[in-house]
Amino acid sequence: MNNAIVVDNLTKYYGDLLAVDHISFEVEQGEIFGFLGPNGAGKSTTQRMLTTLLEPSDGRIFIYGHDIARDAYPAKRRMGLVPEESNVYTELSAWDNLMFTAQLYRVPGSQRASRAQELLETFGLWEKRHVKAEDFSKGMRRRLSIAMAIIHKPTLLFLDEPTPGLDTQSTHAIHGLIRQMNAEGATIFLTTHQIEEANQLCSRVAIIDHGQIAAIDTPERLKAAFRRVQSVQVALEPDGAAHGQALAALEGVTTVVRMGDKWRLYTADPSALLPQVVDYARVHKLRLVSLNTQGPSLEDVFLEITGQEIGTVAHETGANRDRRQRKGGKR
Amino acid sequence: MNTGKMRRLQNEVAQAWAVAVKDVRVYYLTPPMIMFGLALPLFLFFSFSVKREIGPEQGMSRLLALTTFFTASSAGVIIIPMERRTGTYDRLLAAPMALITLLIGKTLVGAFFAAAVALVSLLVGLIWLHVDVANPPLLITTLVLASLTFSALGLVFASIPSRSVGNIMMPSTLIRWPLLFISGIFIPLSEMSPWARAVAYLSPLTYAQELMNRAVLGESLIAPWLSLTVLLLSGVVFLAAAAWMHQRSRRLGY
Repeated sequence: MNNAIVVDNLTKYYGDLLAVDHISFEVEQGEIFGFLGPNGAGKSTTQRMLTTLLEPSDGRIFIYGHDIARDAYPAKRRMGLVPEESNVYTELSAWDNLMFTAQLYRVPGSQRASRAQELLETFGLWEKRHVKAEDFSKGMRRRLSIAMAIIHKPTLLFLDEPTPGLDTQSTHAIHGLIRQMNAEGATIFLTTHQIEEANQLCSRVAIIDHGQIAAIDTPERLKAAFRRVQSVQVALEPDGAAHGQALAALEGVTTVVRMGDKWRLYTADPSALLPQVVDYARVHKLRLVSLNTQGPSLEDVFLEITGQEIGTVAHETGANRDRRQRKGGKR
Repeated sequence: MNTGKMRRLQNEVAQAWAVAVKDVRVYYLTPPMIMFGLALPLFLFFSFSVKREIGPEQGMSRLLALTTFFTASSAGVIIIPMERRTGTYDRLLAAPMALITLLIGKTLVGAFFAAAVALVSLLVGLIWLHVDVANPPLLITTLVLASLTFSALGLVFASIPSRSVGNIMMPSTLIRWPLLFISGIFIPLSEMSPWARAVAYLSPLTYAQELMNRAVLGESLIAPWLSLTVLLLSGVVFLAAAAWMHQRSRRLGY
């Protein structure tokens, strides 16, 4: 069996509300698997079912070949869970938090102290090991929470939004740890809103929307499948809001997004659009400060799949309207 | 039993103990535990005892029943919603141990607290009030069993899927206070009318009070073996009910 996780027809109802709609997917051993989706899409519900915190309404989950509905114990021994909240015991010191978790996961007594020291040093908490977690910053609690989740050296680690709101140092340390654990053979199931984080870390991603898997593939293949969200990025001088309407009217432009002092023009054919942008600048006597083409980012793919608007300020074009109408008006 | 099952059992016992010790360290000195687990039963006792002509032995018997009941049944009601709020309860539920192991660990927490409070009360009674205990072994047995049973009762309330102590304290109070008044703590069984006594037999606290009476005063209406059996069975039923409610919450997704 090469799969760490097999999900078959997994379904969850909350009363009449269908939160997870008959999803199936597999996560191979040694993968970093990203699970993306907008709020309310069913990400957390799925992860809670995978980690045995929630019972499915239908479907089956196999962790390393064990059906967790029948016997979750062998699966639980190999899992680590880092929930969205840093669920540390604030009344206990970092050291005591780790010792308690080591006892809970039956780490042999002779290894507990050395493992705790190793983790505290890795996460830069060794000097603060006797300080109560209530005096820790958000980043320090997060690091402690992750240390607690891996003290028993799990081979399957679930992380739910591990980095939002953290400083660069903490984020960097957590990303480094995920890569290191994966290099040592652990499978990582990463639920995140941070699309760039998934892009950088994950070997495959699944995008869940309205309780269904909307797409599942490697980040690069997903981007390749969405060539229509390629773009041309241009910075003009003098800049001004009036450019938005004019650029949106260029042939082949589906959406125009203002990004600081630049404009991003989404199109299926950047090579056809480039000369038009150059002509526009020449006719209006504008200086082209920068001009380049860009492939779709994973964020673009995500927004496209989940039917959300690309960018925060978009100038809607006729083509964009038509496309949305074809999708049944879903946004 | 094969080696694997024996190892698993040893692990589960160690995990239940680890949960109990952790809770003792984390929660015993929190304000709700001191308020509802320690101060309230003492206030209740003094409110209903002052200016009533009861001897020190009778007072001690009532105080011990009252504190084991209130203190033990308060622990789960306070600790579990606090853990749900901070997310630490998920850590326990996701750990490789049976649900019943977690619940036994939580039962021990309330039982330790109640037994400790009762022991302090008993020492005060023995040293300052010169209380004479008729049957010390029965008293110790009763303290242990009643603490465990009433702690398991607290877990039944704590299985209501809420993150707020207040939301669980309310229904628990609605049940616990009537139990207190029908159980022969403030009005002895022998002074009750037959129908009131019939109602009192429905409460497990009645049997704890009867055992305390037998242990401290040397007299009771109900045979000790019957009271011990009812208390033990009540504890098992409370634990099973708590496990069933936890599983239901997991299924319904609360």
